[in-house]
Amino acid sequence: MHVGMPAIAAWMLVSTVATAAELDVVVVDARGAPAEDAVVSLHGGDAPPPRAAVTREIDQRNETFIPYVEVFRPGDRVVFRNSDRTRHHVYSFAPAKSFEFVIAPGGDTPAVVLDRVGEIAVGCNIHDRMITHLYVSDAPWVAKSDAQGHAVFRGLPNSRYEVRVWHPQLRPGKAEPEQAVDVAGDTATLRFSLPLLADPRPDPADNERARY
Amino acid sequence: MRCTIAIAACVVLAPTARAADLDVHGYLDCRLVAHAGERSYANGGLGKTRFGGDGSDATCVQAAIAASVVLTPALVARADLQYQATGRDEFALLDAWLRYRPVSTTPLRWSVKLGAFFPPVSLENDAIGWTSPWTLDSSAINAWVGEELRSIGAEGTLEWRGERSTVSGVFALVRSNDPAGELLAARGWSISDLVSGLGSRVREPDAYAVDNDEPVPLRFNPFLENDGRLGWYAGASWEARGVGAISLLRYDNEADPASRSRGASPVLSWHTDFWSLGAQSRIGDVVLLGQAMSGSTAIAPSPFFSTTTDFRAAYLLAGWDRGAWRPALRIDAFSTDQLPRSIDGRVREHGTALTLALNWRPREWLRVTGEALHVRSWRNQRELEGLPAQRDDTQLQLGVRVVF
Repeated sequence: MHVGMPAIAAWMLVSTVATAAELDVVVVDARGAPAEDAVVSLHGGDAPPPRAAVTREIDQRNETFIPYVEVFRPGDRVVFRNSDRTRHHVYSFAPAKSFEFVIAPGGDTPAVVLDRVGEIAVGCNIHDRMITHLYVSDAPWVAKSDAQGHAVFRGLPNSRYEVRVWHPQLRPGKAEPEQAVDVAGDTATLRFSLPLLADPRPDPADNERARY
Repeated sequence: MRCTIAIAACVVLAPTARAADLDVHGYLDCRLVAHAGERSYANGGLGKTRFGGDGSDATCVQAAIAASVVLTPALVARADLQYQATGRDEFALLDAWLRYRPVSTTPLRWSVKLGAFFPPVSLENDAIGWTSPWTLDSSAINAWVGEELRSIGAEGTLEWRGERSTVSGVFALVRSNDPAGELLAARGWSISDLVSGLGSRVREPDAYAVDNDEPVPLRFNPFLENDGRLGWYAGASWEARGVGAISLLRYDNEADPASRSRGASPVLSWHTDFWSLGAQSRIGDVVLLGQAMSGSTAIAPSPFFSTTTDFRAAYLLAGWDRGAWRPALRIDAFSTDQLPRSIDGRVREHGTALTLALNWRPREWLRVTGEALHVRSWRNQRELEGLPAQRDDTQLQLGVRVVF
């Protein structure tokens, strides 16, 4: 009995979480509040059929990139749009992709192909505190948590998955939080509680502080 | 000088404002104030607060406009214009500068700033017109910087932006700040948000004027070039995500302590140098700021007389940064010490201050701040006016700031 406990405990840790074709990953911060913009990736199982490359748009409104985080597959494209009345100068020096574009009000950039896996932080050289993150992943399954902190995966093949979570406000240099789950035909929930750092984005309604 | 810079700014900005991106923000700040007991330094007293001499009043104390123009994606022009009504009614240009910062697609990035600007001393005064989002009154350190320090010249910055942290270095060559330091020697520190503009004439204590056989009120312009020498500052900062930031600055105006301005009422040059160390961190929703400054200011107006005033100050600020309510607590400590010790009646001071502020921002255009400031200070200069050297003073304010 005593000898078997660790094995049983380990089995329970995996098997009681889920045996499901649908996995609802709930991401919260240390206070238990929903954590939006977490990228949840599942590793293991049969990969879904590859989809055609898509083009996603990152808007700039009220000197804020929208969305804060966007998920891409290698080969996808990104277009930056400027919905502000001021110019923006988007750029990145990330190893996965470096670029820079000046965008006039109402304008947008040519499509940029994101061909390498990795996280690409994008800023504006004029408004230095603007930031967005492009997350390029080749994981078989990947999704971004919504405003309620949910990332839902449907139609998962039965398998054991390693579930990893990335968020731009995780402390840099730390390994991505990870849990294992066995999926075998029902609905299950997996919960991640992340110790997130403060949101680095300025309050766009704060007109007192300097912007340049 | 003020007129020249204002005209220069208009000449630069006017033709391009229509074509380029113009960003204008500002505020109007009105207050209900219960004054501290001692007469304010702004009115020639030795009080440490902006409002003194007992009584209370309701008035619009200041307003500011900050205009920024994106001339090219790499070139930004910025100017802060302020009106303030304590001690002297005036419109003044606080700063006006051009910054060239080309985009970099590597971790290294450089920039150059030209014009008149505040040296990168403060961690608390990052809002329009050298104000703080945390309190109405600035710390002793940054009240002095706002009052008597301005850099007119060129500043270069080099940053290395890593995944975990950013390291940057700054170096500047500056001029036209030779009298800087005189207020610390003649009057000592203050806890205030009274900021000088280019061309402003700050007031000496009446006790100092009388002691030196000068007329009352005695004022001087702290932004003068008397000796043709360039001053400088150099600094380094390190900012780590999730940890905080720390910055170190060395400043020296390199003023010739024997020089003075020309004219019927010459203003002496004060050779002022200091170290400033600041740190910032965040624990959950609590922001912690701390800063310390240590330096000296010296004059040698004749071959037979020279004096140095050592000055030190530090503060710790804790602010709750969450939602519409933003309370803050700050503790200041400060001192000055005139040397050599052989000087008869040498001036010394030491003190502490406690500032408790509660900010409420119910709308993006409105900030309401209640603030209590208590200053305990000892300054033997008060004895020249027949007052006890030790003072305890409390100033209460309710501020309504309309921001646009």
